[in-house]
Amino acid sequence: MRQAFRSHRTLVGVAGALTAAAIAVTALATLPRIAGSQRAILTSRAHVAKVPLIVYSAQGYDMNVVKAFQRATGIPTELVCDSTGPLLARISAQRNNPQWGLLWVDGNQPFAALDQQGLMLRGFEPSVPWNATADKLIPADKSFVPTGITIAATLIYNRKKVADPPTDFRQLLLPKYRGLLGMNNPSISGPTYPYVSGLMAYLGGVTQGERFLLQLKANGLHIFPTNGNTLHALQIGQIGMATIQSSAIIGAIEQNPAWGISFFKGVTLLPSNIGIDPKAPAAEVAEAKRFATYVLSPAGQHQMLIGDPHGDSNFWPVLRGESPRRGMPTLSSVPYQVTNPYLWGPREPAINSWFTTHMVQ
Amino acid sequence: MVIADRLSARLVGAVTRPGRLGALGGPALWALFFLILLVPIGLFLLVAVSPAIVGQGRAWLTFANFATALQGQTLQGLVDSLVVSATTAVISVAVALGLAWLVQRTTIPGRGLWTLLVWVVLLTPSFLVSLGWERLLEPDGILVHLGVPTTGIANVFFGPVGVVFVLTTKGVPFAYFAISAALGALGREFEDAARTHGAGRWAALRLVLPILAPAFWSALAIVFAETISDFGVATTIAATANFPIATQTLFNAVDNFPANFPVAAAVGWLLVGSVGLALVAQSRALRGRSYQVLSGRTRPSVRVRLGRRGRALALTAMGAFFGLSLGVPFAGALSASLVKPTASSITWNSLTLANYATVLHHPTLLGPLGLSAALACVAATVAVVVGVIVARTLTRRRAGPSARVLDLLLLATVGLPGIVLGAGYIFAYNLPWLNDIGIHLYGTLILLDMAYLANTVPSTTRLLVGPMAQVQFGLHDAARVHGSGGLRAWRTTVVPLLSRSLLWAWLFGFTGILFELPISQLLYPPGQETLAVAINAAFANYSYAPGTTLMVVSVGFAVIVVGVVLLLFRIGAPRGWQRVGSAR
Repeated sequence: MRQAFRSHRTLVGVAGALTAAAIAVTALATLPRIAGSQRAILTSRAHVAKVPLIVYSAQGYDMNVVKAFQRATGIPTELVCDSTGPLLARISAQRNNPQWGLLWVDGNQPFAALDQQGLMLRGFEPSVPWNATADKLIPADKSFVPTGITIAATLIYNRKKVADPPTDFRQLLLPKYRGLLGMNNPSISGPTYPYVSGLMAYLGGVTQGERFLLQLKANGLHIFPTNGNTLHALQIGQIGMATIQSSAIIGAIEQNPAWGISFFKGVTLLPSNIGIDPKAPAAEVAEAKRFATYVLSPAGQHQMLIGDPHGDSNFWPVLRGESPRRGMPTLSSVPYQVTNPYLWGPREPAINSWFTTHMVQ
Repeated sequence: MVIADRLSARLVGAVTRPGRLGALGGPALWALFFLILLVPIGLFLLVAVSPAIVGQGRAWLTFANFATALQGQTLQGLVDSLVVSATTAVISVAVALGLAWLVQRTTIPGRGLWTLLVWVVLLTPSFLVSLGWERLLEPDGILVHLGVPTTGIANVFFGPVGVVFVLTTKGVPFAYFAISAALGALGREFEDAARTHGAGRWAALRLVLPILAPAFWSALAIVFAETISDFGVATTIAATANFPIATQTLFNAVDNFPANFPVAAAVGWLLVGSVGLALVAQSRALRGRSYQVLSGRTRPSVRVRLGRRGRALALTAMGAFFGLSLGVPFAGALSASLVKPTASSITWNSLTLANYATVLHHPTLLGPLGLSAALACVAATVAVVVGVIVARTLTRRRAGPSARVLDLLLLATVGLPGIVLGAGYIFAYNLPWLNDIGIHLYGTLILLDMAYLANTVPSTTRLLVGPMAQVQFGLHDAARVHGSGGLRAWRTTVVPLLSRSLLWAWLFGFTGILFELPISQLLYPPGQETLAVAINAAFANYSYAPGTTLMVVSVGFAVIVVGVVLLLFRIGAPRGWQRVGSAR
């Protein structure tokens, strides 16, 4: 019995050794990268202290911009590239000990909410030539800065199925559009909430918005999880038109001439923004400010325009003297509205919950 | 059952030992589980009642999150998950028994191929299976292009029926490996003994099936737990059909802004509770009996010789299962990867290989595959070693209460979606005081691989429990009595009996980690995307064709790894190892 027990202990010992060995292998695999970062710090300390800048981004062009920024400044920049939801989940989970330096995603409501929780550096505004639209987007406490503009959701339609597309949200209730419209579920697709809340703001409030959405449902509205599912439904003819983010629409139209875009009256602006972690080391905060300034430079804007031509690169600039990609309509031709993120942001859980209960089920 | 027990006791001479802490693998094993499972999961679940502990709210003690979780869509999701998982588990075990019997106990042609295909089914991500079916049945899908109307079947499929169907195809391999190892290893002596004592074929079957009870229960429990934590189907067919499932509602609670970790943790508690019920059912069914039948003296079983008609029926059944579980998804995914992004319908002119060229020449897309493969290799190896020890501990006849706690912990982990581990690891290993004492684990590959290990050990253990329960340790003890060292005794007596199962468990761990998404999303270090993150990013940026192509390339890579490992086993392993559990 004792021998059996001893043999078991031997096995445990071997297991422990193997575990340690495996971890050591992983550590060795990681070491060159860690060492690389450390070297960057040591070699640069003689000049300016450089620490790795950690960028959390959901932008399709972020890799291009990060590489160009590193080349231009020599600042080691590490990218965590993912959808907005997981990035914000990471930030929320790290609340006690933030490990990010800069956040770059679409929508001003998350930034406003993070600002209210004390998780945004206030008082930073790059000295750049903002255009008139950007002036409406910069918050009073300067806790985040816009980098580009899209429309939260407007209409994409299949010309073969919808000959005369609607030009106003209310026209979507007409019987001739019955069963043709699709949209994303805001409780799954994060960027859809600005569209839903903007629609409510445009129609006069939450109550009016909910009533309108229920009428849409009665007119055969299809609800899909995310942009991808909605666009795919349009592609396979399950629906004839959909309301999704303008950058995705413009990218999709370039690849499919049968599709068209229509800007409704009262569509909501959805800016991409940069915010900085106030608890990051001073050196990283300084680098994050340089990153934001670089993004808003002609070189940074160029990288944004070429980095994701079928998606996020289809934005309107926030700077005077910069132009959107060729073929984009002028922003002045779009009848847009700007909503208050500090008013509509806190309502997100309640409105999403209502949507799930009354629209999806 | 009486005959079975008597035979087990007399013919085999089952060896049992009292449970003790030392027999649990010792403090080292518990320390490992404490660090990789208990602390992160415990902290995550604690957030449900004490959000303030990790800064996720102001309350230090509250039960309000359970009230929130038990209403509306989260409650509906939980009920749906329970029904779907229980249904899937029962159907999967029934199908797997049929498959295992055909492969292990009949002369059906191509037995090696069928086993390989079961593996391919296991390693195929459920997301890919769902995608394939969607491509087949959707309006303007492949069937419509072939002139087959799909409206009727699509209406039925895109809902609970389709969810259970796809999850069953994913559940069958788990059940198959639990059952086939037992079925293949069960020598013919029991049937011979029964037949000698006058039992007919049916009576012999009634004798043999109860001996396989550990495998059945193990299969039911693992399929139930794997299904209730599945993420791929929850985010595809279920989400598209607006059919809420608990993993999806838990993920939404974290993924939406503001992230609601306390409610997610409450859902986690309810999932743990559900899996706990499955475990109680399993342990009650097996309590107090020995099922140790596999030894070095085990005689190879005899195959049922199939006639021409029987062979045709068997091949049709096999073809139908693998056609539905593999053929359709791969056809769908392949078609998606070959279609031009601009195409609005599928024609010969719309096909292209450009997506493959993009993937193969784009280092940012192939780099993640290499990184994930390396991480999977390390974590799967450690998981199998740990899994063997734990499986041995759990299969002791009189395992103590600590073993039951360990079993509950492991199965609960299988039942929890990966995002729980991901968030739990941030809570546990990003504590400020850890940084203060110089430990910086968060944002490293080490922590990511630790989480992979934690996510893999429970499943590999469950895969090994069935075969381990049937190993007679009398052989091992005899070796020890005759002066063999501890390690040598294991290597020469136990490892040969388990070698095939160990191989399968490693491959399962490897492929599972290769395609892991939720943990990676929360833990991957800056600048080091894993495979699933890269695929997900491609889909998120509307690059569907490259995303699907990368997935197809990755599945192809995984199939090659499986093939190479099996080939190496065939070439390198001693013949005796390969003979154990085989049938004539």
